[in-house]
Amino acid sequence: MSGPLTRVLDAFGAGAASLAEVEAATGLSADVVSASVDHLVRLGRVDAELLSMGCPTGGCGTCASGTTEGAAGCGAPGPSLRRRGPALVALTLRRPRVEAGN
Amino acid sequence: MATRTDKRNVARPTPVPAHVHDHEHDPLSLERECCVVPDLPSPAGSPLVALVGAPNSGKSTLFNGLTGLKSKTGNWPGTSVDVARGPWRSGGVTFDLIDLPGAYALDPLSPDEALTRDLLVTDGPGRPDVVVVLADAAHLARSLYLVTQVRELRLRCVVALSMLDVASVRGLTVDPDALGAALGCPVVSLDPRRRVGLGALADAVAQSLAGGVPAPRTTAEPDADELAREDERFAFIDAAVTAGTRDSGTSRANWSDRIDQVATHPVGGPLVFLAVMWAVFQATTTVAAPLQDALDSFFSGPVSDAAAAALAALGLGGSWVEGLLVNGLIAGVGMLLTFVPLMAMMFALLALLEDSGYMARAAVVTDRLMRAIGLPGKAFLPLVVGFGCNVPAVSATRILSNSRQRVLTALLVPFTSCSARLTVYMLVTTTFFGANAGTVVFALYVTSILFVIGVGLALRHTLWRTMGAEPLILDLPPYQRPTLAITAGVTWVRLKGFLKTASGIIVATVCAVWLLQSIPVGLGTFGQVPVGDSLYASLARLVAPIFAPAGFGAWELVSALVVGFVAKEAVLSSWAQTFAIADGDPGHLGGHLIDSFAAASGGHPLPAVAAFLVFVLAYTPCVATLAAQQREIGGRWTLFGLGLNLSVAWLAAVVVFNVGCLL
Repeated sequence: MSGPLTRVLDAFGAGAASLAEVEAATGLSADVVSASVDHLVRLGRVDAELLSMGCPTGGCGTCASGTTEGAAGCGAPGPSLRRRGPALVALTLRRPRVEAGN
Repeated sequence: MATRTDKRNVARPTPVPAHVHDHEHDPLSLERECCVVPDLPSPAGSPLVALVGAPNSGKSTLFNGLTGLKSKTGNWPGTSVDVARGPWRSGGVTFDLIDLPGAYALDPLSPDEALTRDLLVTDGPGRPDVVVVLADAAHLARSLYLVTQVRELRLRCVVALSMLDVASVRGLTVDPDALGAALGCPVVSLDPRRRVGLGALADAVAQSLAGGVPAPRTTAEPDADELAREDERFAFIDAAVTAGTRDSGTSRANWSDRIDQVATHPVGGPLVFLAVMWAVFQATTTVAAPLQDALDSFFSGPVSDAAAAALAALGLGGSWVEGLLVNGLIAGVGMLLTFVPLMAMMFALLALLEDSGYMARAAVVTDRLMRAIGLPGKAFLPLVVGFGCNVPAVSATRILSNSRQRVLTALLVPFTSCSARLTVYMLVTTTFFGANAGTVVFALYVTSILFVIGVGLALRHTLWRTMGAEPLILDLPPYQRPTLAITAGVTWVRLKGFLKTASGIIVATVCAVWLLQSIPVGLGTFGQVPVGDSLYASLARLVAPIFAPAGFGAWELVSALVVGFVAKEAVLSSWAQTFAIADGDPGHLGGHLIDSFAAASGGHPLPAVAAFLVFVLAYTPCVATLAAQQREIGGRWTLFGLGLNLSVAWLAAVVVFNVGCLL
């Protein structure tokens, strides 16, 4: 039987949409799934990305868009570290790099 | 308090590509690789005990509890890393305790972690006699990774287990003996803050010292690949967690999870989402409508009258100045300002949903929908943002890693109904549908979603057949009680944006419309021409026949759509101007609209109104969105999107009108 990390990766690939679905698909506890995902992020096998869902309390100056790209504005891909309130984490499988010449 | 989300990604260093530290996963190479470790012999021959654990795990609290604050802190020789050191006395025995820098693992990502690793893996006088690993019972699996790596070394290891109270609240009970048996080292329960269990820890360390150094645990084959090695470690962790913990199930049965069982359910989730959005629109229209009527009366009555009287006193009564000021700016901008209570109400309700964490659940529902129709999962975010404003939504397509996905999503964004369109919906629906206005607006938002799905599917099966899927998992933040400060702050930021548009683009548009309405076609003088004989009406009459099949081919109605190309708020201001100038006073806009739709539709005003609303929903939202599209996906795709929006909007409007007439 494959190990927890492989099972979590398989659940990703099979289309699980949330960590709860990963738990159901792998039979692992929430604690082990959470730790596995963290470790896969650390290994560089999975990308974790905070997604901002609206304007921050502090206005544009504290917005994800403003701080990650160096200028105020909307719609930049990254969140602001100063942003408060609930935020989503999107986890995506990192695709293997294609070496030059291949 | 840091959320689960905060811990996952924000505070972490950027993961190092696996190949950079591949060799460090090999336990044998851990032992072989000797680094320069400072020579720090234990004073007076007392055993050297190293305290390790994850950053912010309460290690320093435990260290202070064990040493009684009789410690020294300073840079480890040759490094800039702070290390605390002090005597730990218990039961007549003194240990030399070192508080090593926090580390998640022995694969260093920072100088702090590197020092911890070097000290533990390198043979020499600085190597500890016992390693105490502080583990968090509430996040046991995460904590046990470090324990697992320490157990692969030829070291005595004792696990100090804290946060049992937090684990207990989550329904987790930890059996230290069973956990210790699974890990192959003693496990001691303690509470560093209350100094409970510190004596037992000293006893466990002393007993460990009395015995020999245990054999390292058996690991994966040395030639196994990285994932196999890590899998073996996590299998060990999973087995230990399974053996040492008991989950009563109450953690999953808390109120947040119970809500999520419904809110993110494949069938129940979309229904809850629709119900929530219906409630938002119903509450918005019910509460804000009286305020809106009062403001409408205020601008079309006292404000217009006062301005007209002031101009008359200045000798400008009946002049083009009065036309511009009273029938142009006050009628146009005033009409828009009547929507301030409505927009404030809706922004506040949406901010409450965001702050509570519900919008994240709505994102899961949307994400699932995206996948079901073969669209990229991450496209949900720009599309959700699009319901506020399409401009940032188009920019937000940058989160998509694939350029084809970006183009597809940027083309779909204009079909999401932005808040500017809501002003048009509200005026028209309250005029024609009365108490059912909220339900009709809700239906328009559902139609907006259907447009996204339909057009997305059509494009996906024609131009975008080869686009690959990108697995995506959403880690939901916990629900939280919304705070007044955040709700008010977000509401104000958005309302300010709405008012900024009103004061900028709308004023300019009002002036442009006024100018076109003042220029006569044929006979007449500037500023004194009936609006029906103006250049504005003549231009609109050229376009109006296109919309005759949709039931609203009157120039008064179509002209507003042309102006609405600049910004949807301008639809209202241009109507207000047109009808105010036509009648010579601002009057009641609703009455004019009823007459116009009835005349244009040949006696079928409601199907024509529905067709008009669907057209407003689906055609190009504003020039700012086009500019954003041009910036993100280029001119050719922007033109394609423009044609797509206009075609879909016109076709849908014609279908709605003709089907409506048959009913």
